[in-house]
Amino acid sequence: MSKDNFLEVRGLKKYFDADRPSFFSREPRYVHAVDGIDFQLRHSEVIALVGESGCGKSTLALLLMGLEEPTEGAILFEGRDITHLNDNERKGLRRKIQMIFQDPYESLNPTQTIEEIINEPLVVHGIGNNKNERDERVKKAMEDSGLKPAEVYLQRFPHELSGGQRQRVVIAAALVLEPEILLADEPVSMLDVSIRAEIINLLAELRITRQIAVIFITHDLGSVGFFADRVAVMYLGRIVEIGTMLEVLEKPQHPYTKALISVIPVPNPRLRHERIILQGETPNPIDLPSGCRFHPRCPLAMATCKASDPPFITLSKTHQAACLLLVK
Amino acid sequence: METSTQVPEIQNQWIIRLTNFWRTFSKNRIGIVGLAMLIVIVFMAIFAPVIAPYDSSSSASEIGDVYNPPSSSHWFGTDDAGQDVFSNFVFGARVSLIVGFFAAFISIIIGGLLGLVAGFFGGRMENFIMRFTDIMLVIPDLPLMVVVVALTKPSLLNIIFVIGLLGWTTTARVVRSQTLAVKSRKFVLRARAVGAGKGHIISRHILPLVTPILVVQAVLVVSLAILNESALSFLGLGDPTALSWGQMLNYAFGRGAMSIGAWWALLFPGFGIVWVVLGLTLLGQGLEQILNPRLDTHHLMPGRPVIQGKMGMALEKIIEKIIEKSPLLEVRNLSINYINEGKPPARAVENISFTLKEGELIGLVGESGCGKTTLMLALLRLLPSAGQIVNGQVLFNGKNLTALNEQEINAVRWKDISIVFQGAMNALNPVRTVGDQIAEAIIKHMPGFARDQRLQERVIELLDLVGIAADHKEHFPHQYSGGMRQRAMIAMALACNPQIIIADEPTTALDVMIQAQILELLDSLRKKLGLAIIFVTHDLGVVAEICDKVLVMYGGVTAEYADVDIIYNESRHPYTQELLKAFPDLTKPKKKLSSIPGYPPRLDALPAGCRFAPRCPLAFERCHTEQPLLHKLNDSQSADHIASCHLLEASK
Repeated sequence: MSKDNFLEVRGLKKYFDADRPSFFSREPRYVHAVDGIDFQLRHSEVIALVGESGCGKSTLALLLMGLEEPTEGAILFEGRDITHLNDNERKGLRRKIQMIFQDPYESLNPTQTIEEIINEPLVVHGIGNNKNERDERVKKAMEDSGLKPAEVYLQRFPHELSGGQRQRVVIAAALVLEPEILLADEPVSMLDVSIRAEIINLLAELRITRQIAVIFITHDLGSVGFFADRVAVMYLGRIVEIGTMLEVLEKPQHPYTKALISVIPVPNPRLRHERIILQGETPNPIDLPSGCRFHPRCPLAMATCKASDPPFITLSKTHQAACLLLVK
Repeated sequence: METSTQVPEIQNQWIIRLTNFWRTFSKNRIGIVGLAMLIVIVFMAIFAPVIAPYDSSSSASEIGDVYNPPSSSHWFGTDDAGQDVFSNFVFGARVSLIVGFFAAFISIIIGGLLGLVAGFFGGRMENFIMRFTDIMLVIPDLPLMVVVVALTKPSLLNIIFVIGLLGWTTTARVVRSQTLAVKSRKFVLRARAVGAGKGHIISRHILPLVTPILVVQAVLVVSLAILNESALSFLGLGDPTALSWGQMLNYAFGRGAMSIGAWWALLFPGFGIVWVVLGLTLLGQGLEQILNPRLDTHHLMPGRPVIQGKMGMALEKIIEKIIEKSPLLEVRNLSINYINEGKPPARAVENISFTLKEGELIGLVGESGCGKTTLMLALLRLLPSAGQIVNGQVLFNGKNLTALNEQEINAVRWKDISIVFQGAMNALNPVRTVGDQIAEAIIKHMPGFARDQRLQERVIELLDLVGIAADHKEHFPHQYSGGMRQRAMIAMALACNPQIIIADEPTTALDVMIQAQILELLDSLRKKLGLAIIFVTHDLGVVAEICDKVLVMYGGVTAEYADVDIIYNESRHPYTQELLKAFPDLTKPKKKLSSIPGYPPRLDALPAGCRFAPRCPLAFERCHTEQPLLHKLNDSQSADHIASCHLLEASK
């Protein structure tokens, strides 16, 4: 097995049925949530998927987790096609791919104790021969997630913990299965800045100590830029630019990436700089703009952008972007 | 081995949960009264043979005993057959309760199962079940029961089944909607991501959150079943061998108790029915108050009276004269407590001072729970009922807002100082157009406006000011995106031309691009309208982009207060320094972010010394015992640079 195709996504699409514009309309309409995504993830690599809400990044996460069925395309894990699996096969796979959700307030069952929450995946997968063995694993997952000493937290309920602690519980409940890929959907955007740093450090540490690959989904390039190996910028269901973290942050090529980077708040008034503030918001993914999907908001749009869909231009071995300005 | 260790643990947890529940319940007066009323009846039913002075089947010993009024030998008198009404009343409780509980049990099982299946599995199954439920709901219960019972043999068992089989509809609806609500919550998705099957999700995640609602529903269904049984028996369709309260009424009514004036034969069984149903209703209401926290409305109660500062009125006047060109807003030594019954008050905000000039933008920064929202609510005296201003002044154009009465402060709210709340999604009414809601805000606060063309023009003007095209005026909030809703909230806050806007985390839930748009908007508004803005946030990065001054709060006190440039480049308080370090700096990426270990203090467990000491990398002995004073730093570039740290004593 090649190191390069640990997880591979090929031409992945997900269309949801949309309401018809009127009762008499015959033509079916679709929400093009994910509309042709390709990327590879290597062993213990951290890739950041960045984009505004409505770009399809959360749908992509659900597709990768097998919580939604893709309309088209394939997902390969260690060379095996995992796009369509039955419940049993899927269950085995879940141990290897785990997910962390955005809102640690919502993603914990308020009636369960922390111990029940973290122990639950073990029960579901029938891991551990006896209670002692499970307790050990729960404890290790908790301490790896920074809930030390574990005993202090075991019998507490989620509402007794702070936001940062709750997110650590969510991480521990994922780690307890010893996954190889961690899918983190906006894991810090609901947390205070001071707590964000801790959670990001924790994830950065886990990929070293446990060799876990991380797919970090966020709208804020600033929160993840420094620890991701690669960055993929998404717009309206597609990746518009992908490259190593330094390539994307220092030499962004797509106008959308440039704008996203320019609005990252810089914590120093002396470094206040010109921000490229895009007007309006992501158009709805039902009636997609013609040509380049970004052209209605693009500050550099040309006449041709309206007509033709830009191809992916290879800028370096690792860096690609889809923009007509890059076509020479 | 495994089971033997696990079982007692689970039992233990249930005991803990039940004792916790009882502790809360025992404080609920309505629930306790209801429970007490029921216990009396249940006790009576269980010990009926002991309590009743006569055997239930004993009939009159002498003919003359029929319809005897209450006396010492027959406390509730006798009935048409000369039987003791009290004895029948006691035994009747048995029948009524048995029918009530068993019928309700059937209803709850059927309704609960159908509701759960419909809510959880959805699709065609749900459609079928819910349409069936709808049909059952439109059929009037009692006539149907009468027909069914009349067609079958009137036995107690039949009555139980008929009532039970017809009484599940509301339960099915309630359970379905609760299941739907729970099912869509993120922790269910997380359980699916973990690999949990449907059975596991239902038993571990759905049921624990549906059960409380089901308990409340069960109580109500029991009372309904008892009422239905009474009605059926009263109509003569009850089991003649089981004398329930309804049956007693039927006999008394049919055998001339009314014409004789034997009120006792009617009153006591009637009273029994009312007593039980009332007890069940009260119990249900009590349970609902505990199990459904949404019914808690303490936020709507007025706040506590302000405790005025030690400064006398005379002195205050003098000060007002000294500050002739006073700033727009001056907050002086403001302290706010939360009153906890039986505990010492929580010092949520202590000794906060800052000033705000026209067109100025101050950033109020702190982690969640540091008291920033409390402080903002206190400025407009909108604190929840437990909150109380215990010291300090809020001077708006020289007028002390803490000394105003409710009517006077109301005149300031919105017109002079308005608020943009966090989470614009919830602050808009979903069933009214945005334009309509803005118009409402204008009319409510400016009586000069009538519902005419001028009002519509003003709405369009306000929308234009926040960058929303006029044709969106007639749209509903759900047609707006998150960013547009926040803009609409700002338009509403601008409705009365206020001088100050308090923006409480206005961009927290928004994407970075939309956040940049909103920041740009606020910045342009203050330039265009000379607005002063208090920007509350936990994000130092956002503040750096637009603020003039920054107040960094920690655990309810000022950590540092200075011009924005000083805060970011010459901060003196360790907390500010640590916060800045925790910020990912894209200009110089590094492998590990520095973070502040630990968590902010809880208000009910504040450290004895400096509130930041437990997390401070520079803390020394004194920090843990003595709260630092606010030091004005004269060597600083900033005119007002204040920081509270023992380390700054020397440089004072």
